[in-house]
Formats: sequence, C-alpha cells, structure tokens
Amino acid sequence: MTVGAVTLPRGSAALAIRQTAALAWRSVLTTVRVPQSWFPALFFPLVLMAIFTGSFGQAPGRLPGFPPVRGFLDFAVSGAIFQGVLIGGVTAGAAFALDIEGGFFDRLVASPVSRAALLLGRLGGGVALGVLQALLFLAIAVIFGARVEGGAAGVLVVVLFAAILSVAVGGLGVCLALRTGSSEAVQGMFPLFFALLFFSSAFFPRETMSGWFRVVADWNPISHLVEGMRAQVISGVEARVTLVGLGIAVGLAALAVGASALLLRRRLREAA
Amino acid sequence: MPPAIEAIGLVREFKGGVRAVDGVDLSVASGEVYGFLGPNGAGKSTTVRMLATLLRPSAGRALVAGYDVARDPAAVRRSIGVALQDAAIDNYMTGRELLRLQGTLHGLGRAEGRRRAEALLDRVGLVEAADRRVGTYSGGMRRRLDLALALVHEPVVMFLDEPTTGLDPLSRMTMWDEVRRLNREHGTTVFLTTQYLEEADQLAGRVGIIDDGRLVAEGTPRELKAQVGDPTLNVTLAAEDDAPAAAEVLATVGRLVPAPDGTVAARLPEGAAAVAGVVRRLDDAGVAVAGLELAEPSLDDVFVAKTGHRLEGDGPEEAELAAAEASAAPA
Repeated sequence: MTVGAVTLPRGSAALAIRQTAALAWRSVLTTVRVPQSWFPALFFPLVLMAIFTGSFGQAPGRLPGFPPVRGFLDFAVSGAIFQGVLIGGVTAGAAFALDIEGGFFDRLVASPVSRAALLLGRLGGGVALGVLQALLFLAIAVIFGARVEGGAAGVLVVVLFAAILSVAVGGLGVCLALRTGSSEAVQGMFPLFFALLFFSSAFFPRETMSGWFRVVADWNPISHLVEGMRAQVISGVEARVTLVGLGIAVGLAALAVGASALLLRRRLREAA
Repeated sequence: MPPAIEAIGLVREFKGGVRAVDGVDLSVASGEVYGFLGPNGAGKSTTVRMLATLLRPSAGRALVAGYDVARDPAAVRRSIGVALQDAAIDNYMTGRELLRLQGTLHGLGRAEGRRRAEALLDRVGLVEAADRRVGTYSGGMRRRLDLALALVHEPVVMFLDEPTTGLDPLSRMTMWDEVRRLNREHGTTVFLTTQYLEEADQLAGRVGIIDDGRLVAEGTPRELKAQVGDPTLNVTLAAEDDAPAAAEVLATVGRLVPAPDGTVAARLPEGAAAVAGVVRRLDDAGVAVAGLELAEPSLDDVFVAKTGHRLEGDGPEEAELAAAEASAAPA
C-alpha cells in the first residue's frame, strides 16, 4: 500500500528541526499580526519605564544605597525587558491554549509532526520575539540617553537573558495551557506574575528596601534575574551577579521545559 | 486488498463511566465512501478521534490503512488526512501560508510543498483568496481550505468530521462535489460523519447508523431503506366521499396506512410495479383521482425504525457528552 506522496524518515532530526522552525515562524507571524498580542508586551513595560524614570530621575546619587548608575533609565531598562518577557510568555501560553481550544493542536497531533516540535515550535517563536523585544528596549533606552556599560558583549548577555527567560516563562505558560486547556486560565495568571514582579528589585534596588519587603525581594528569583541583566548595563557591578542570574534563568528554563514536556506526554497519552 | 479501516469491538469510556462508543465494529473497504450517521452525542466524533489516533480506545482495536492505531500511531498518521469538526485554522494566516506550513509539517521539501500548495488551491477554488487572511473567508471557503490542508500529503484515508455542518446549501454542494472527486479521481477512502441524512444518501456508498455509542444499522442507503419497508402510495382524491371506495382498491395491493382527510395511503410491497394496476382499478371503481405519489422510504424512516427517535434535536445528550470529553482530555 502506498503511503502518501512521501515516505517520512522516522524520527529524523533534520525534519524535526524543520517542523520546529515552521511552527516557530507561525507563532511569530500570528503574534505580530495581532496587535492585541504584542501591544501589551511593548506598551506596559515602556510606559512604566517612562513613569519611573520621570518620577525617580533624581534618585540615583541622592537616595542612600542606590547603586552607582548614570541615570535612572540605565537602571530601569532591565526591569522593563523582564516585564516584557513576562507578558510575552503569558501571551505564548495563552496562544498555545487557544491552539488546544480551537483544534489546531489536534490537527498537529493527528499528523506525523515530531512531538518535540509541538512544544519547541511555540517556545522558539517566543524566543525570537523576546530577543527582538530586548533589542528594541535597549535601543529606546540608549536613544533616551542610557548607556550599556558592558558594551557589545553586555548587549549580547542581555539578549541571551531575554532568550533564556522567554523559554522559562513561555514554558510555564505552556504548562498552564496543557494543564487547563483554557486560554482564559493562562491569562488569569497575569496578576500573580505582576505581583511577583513588584515584590522584586525589577523596578527599585534592593538596597533601598526594608523590613519584610526586603526579605521577600531577597528571596524572589526575579530580583536576581533582573540584577543579572542590569549588571551588564550599569557600571560597577561584579560579573558574579550576572552568573548567578544566568544560572537561575537556565535552571528555571530547564524546569519549565521539563515540566511542559511531561505534561505534553501526559496529554498525548490520552491519544494513541 | 485489506480493508482501509477496520474496527473490532471499539470502546471509549470517559470519566464517570460515560461510554461514548460502546463496541463498534467497522470494516470499510479501500476506495469506499463510508457515511457515519447519527445525532449529536451519538459517538461519531469520538469514533473518528480514535481512528485518527487522537484518542486511545478503552477497549477493542482498530486498523487504519493496515496499521494498528494504538500500536503504530505514527504510521497511521502518515496515511491519513483529518478534517475535524471545527475547522481549526489560524485567522491571521493566509490560505497559501497555511498550506505551505502543512507541507513542511508533513516533510515535503520546499519546492514540492510549494507545488502541492498551488495545485490544491486551484483544486478547491481558492486561488483568488490564497493571499487573503483566513479570517476574511466564508464558512464554505474555510471548509474547503481545511479539506485542502488535509490533502497536502496525499493521504490514502480521509476522515471528515461533519464536513458541511453549518454551511449554506450551495457551499454544501460544492463540498460534496469535492468529496466525490477526491474519491473518484484519487481513489481515496473517505470516512465521513454527518448528522444530515441527505448527505449520507448523496455521498456514501455505505452508511452506518450510530446511536448511543452503538452501530444500530449498516448497509447501502438502498438496502437500509428496503429494510424499513415498502414504498408508500399516496392517493389524493378529487372527492372526499370516494375514500372508502379508494381504500377498498388499495387494500387489494397493499397495506393501508393512516392518511390525512381527502387522501388514502398504502404501503405497496411490489412498489412502482403495482401503481399502474391501482390506477386502472380506481378508474374502474369510478374514483376521481386528483394526485398520485409514490414515496420511497427515506433514511429518516430508517433512522426512526432503528433508533426509535428522529435524527434532529438531541440537545441534552450532546451537552453531557461534550462535557465528558472535555474533562477527559487532561487525564
């Protein structure tokens, strides 16, 4: 019996990569073409960055404990990038849930698409968008007078952060999507993520915090992730901070991918 | 040649003990168009999902294109095309983009994928709309694109889950033509589910009627209709007073059945062959006839005879089953 026009090489890695790239391209296209999908990820972080920079422009140098920094914008841009990645990841998770709700996921499952591509396609698209966004935010900050002290290497590290964090947050979004199958449920996590973000050093330095708030921010991984990026932008921070941040980012990404792979397998076990 | 689809004692039980599919046996020959007819919630979609490797059977086994859906799902997936109930198509991509994506996902090379996409766009009449976003497509166009997407890799078995539900009559007929052509020109085996009797009658060489998870009847539309009984002759009288005389004549060739005032009706075991004799005898008896109609039993009659209820309107059952399916998905 002839089986279609093509005989697919079973488990061919090259094919899986092509499938992943095609699905990543689709998620980028469908995100970029829907303003509701990318507008929040650009708008909120930039507006917040502008507001904080306007409000606390005098803080560096005058506020005791504020880290040495040329201007507040230099300090704020890393938080904005992280916030953008966070919103992007939730959007990616919600889009994945929409694929499940709408039946696109079923179409993929009923076709000989590599099971890894189902997951990595969506995450790959998120990485591409996260990297673009980080570059855009850095460019805007530089236009308004910030400087990346780490130079070209610093930009690269920040972009690497954005890429890894896109995997981590996107993976978490996908986990929620696989678990609930509902885009609304995924979107519903937004407030929680935002609270986590504000209880960290994303927008203000830990040095100016006090009491229980400081304790929470100390333990909040987001603090260390943002500070890892920030160390590349502002001067006078040791490389150790970046390495700690990168370590946490990689750990979270691995955890998120592992968990989503597990949940995908669980969902597919229902299928043949 | 082995059957294109074979199922033996197929069962799917959802959480809470709902048996959506309760021991279905199927054998669909290669090149056949098989219509799976039943009301909402009868188990049609669940059966298709099992055959298309989207749901694991709770019991029984199924072979599609010669491969076991549970043991060798990858081989099944390479052999089948699937167009599921709600055309799951990205509104923000164009028809051409989606076809090329589908080609890549099925492992076609770039040039081959492009060639197939163009050929399929042409075939389903979407060349003009190829570069428009799918969000602007009509319901009929979406279904045709969905069909084209399922055909990218030239599958030997096609599953169409309610391909024309919600379509206007014209789009429905276009879709029917497309399915017929697929079967005629490419010899593709088509397994289609429908809740429309007319659709099964028009398209399917063989029809299986499913109700409450069980196959209650199977055969060609003609065989099924023959099982229900004989055609009915309806005689409309010019004068109501002639009714007793007309009834006396009809009783000699068939079995009288209740009819509205001014008409007399009987089932004729001999069918059309008996009509001429009836006309002659009515004439001899001096009965003036205003109208004469021989009605063949419809699949609707078959459905009622086999299930005890009509096809349309099984609301609550549907909702219940949809809920069961939804809760079963994330184990």
